Amino acid sequence: MSLTYGAIGWNRQKKIYDLVLACGIVLYLSLFIGLGAWLNPGATVETLLIRGFGTCALLLLHIVLIIGPLCRIDARFLPLLYNRRHLGVTTFIMGLAHAGLAIFQFHALGDLNPFVSLLVSNTRFFSLPDFPFQQLGFGALVILFLMASTSHDFWLANLSAPVWKRLHMSVYAAYALLIAHVTLGVLQAETNPLLAAALGAGLASVISLHLVSGSREVRADSHSSLSSFDGAGEFVDVCSVDEIAEKRARIVTLAGERVAVFKYDGKISVLSNVCQHQNGPLGEGRIVDGCVTCPWHGFQYLPDSGASPPPFIERVPTFRVKVDGGRVLVNPRPLPPGTRVEPARIDANASG
Amino acid sequence: MITFAKWKLAIFGIYLVIGAVFAVVFLAIGIARVDPAAKGSPIGFRLLIFPGVVALWPYLLSRWIGGEHAPRTERNSHRDGSGGADQ
Repeated sequence: MSLTYGAIGWNRQKKIYDLVLACGIVLYLSLFIGLGAWLNPGATVETLLIRGFGTCALLLLHIVLIIGPLCRIDARFLPLLYNRRHLGVTTFIMGLAHAGLAIFQFHALGDLNPFVSLLVSNTRFFSLPDFPFQQLGFGALVILFLMASTSHDFWLANLSAPVWKRLHMSVYAAYALLIAHVTLGVLQAETNPLLAAALGAGLASVISLHLVSGSREVRADSHSSLSSFDGAGEFVDVCSVDEIAEKRARIVTLAGERVAVFKYDGKISVLSNVCQHQNGPLGEGRIVDGCVTCPWHGFQYLPDSGASPPPFIERVPTFRVKVDGGRVLVNPRPLPPGTRVEPARIDANASG
Repeated sequence: MITFAKWKLAIFGIYLVIGAVFAVVFLAIGIARVDPAAKGSPIGFRLLIFPGVVALWPYLLSRWIGGEHAPRTERNSHRDGSGGADQ
């Protein structure tokens, strides 16, 4: 969160993240090329590099895709989410290296422009064994480029969040194109069943983790959707004070969206659960330095007003809250973002 | 077939050249008018978003001409239910 844009907002965690990522890539490429040269002495360096970069990009894309559902299933994976954009940009760079080398090796040595050659050298679109799989990979690379080049927060703000998210959801189209690219290309030429098994396992893990996390979210929403009003019909009984851990929140659904009911310093405050930055789940974060801190990217809000501490300008809607007999009661009508609401005191109302 | 492919690539190339020229002007002058938070931003930031500006230049040009300054906040049922306005 910042008032002006910077190039890359590196902090200690992001530096560690990127260092681990860089070391992992170097290790993977070294192993792939070393083992490849040992197991297949006839393979050229160019071929090993093309395949090394390509498989590295595919592996990284799998990691990018499973981080989201993993975090929904188990919060211990949240540190992986924190800097996922760098992972995505790195995926594009690996894919670009793969494509650049492949175009050079297979299309740049003839009379035709290499890109013209890419488009016209194989047009057997109706033949499964001879399908021009290269064009599928090129399509995926274009999508990954659009995602990488718009990964900065400038684009999130200026494309508007819904457009930015729709653009970045096209990662699934890129993934489908890459699966087809690999299936129709490399797997047709390879006889090693390990490759097919690895690709199948990757696809199965992406699909199954999305299904599991999605079904958990639907179940959680159906259980937390509340309609039990108090006698006056203004407040909804959402939970017991004891159900909320200190400096943490309980998430329930009110007014068609999730709210986060935070307990801290003997008080209760209620905010919309949706972070203004990228819709991160505020209720899965905790209170750090007196502020509700989004678990995704660290955006912060004051719990009583839903406003980011000055000079920051992000705001989320708040809700009126009271505690009666150890129960937390919330008025389901959202207040305008940034509206201060007096927190409910726990001590004065805990008994009963 | 080859001629058609050449035409496609030529159109794509022209789009990118216009985008590159636009990006230089936009990153020097226009960006602060489209998004006040970009005013006085460092060169590293501008270089980082350069490829995206080249790719999406028609959208940014329309925003620049349209004079839309404040990036929009995403809507959801809570923001809509609260009246939508910030306090």
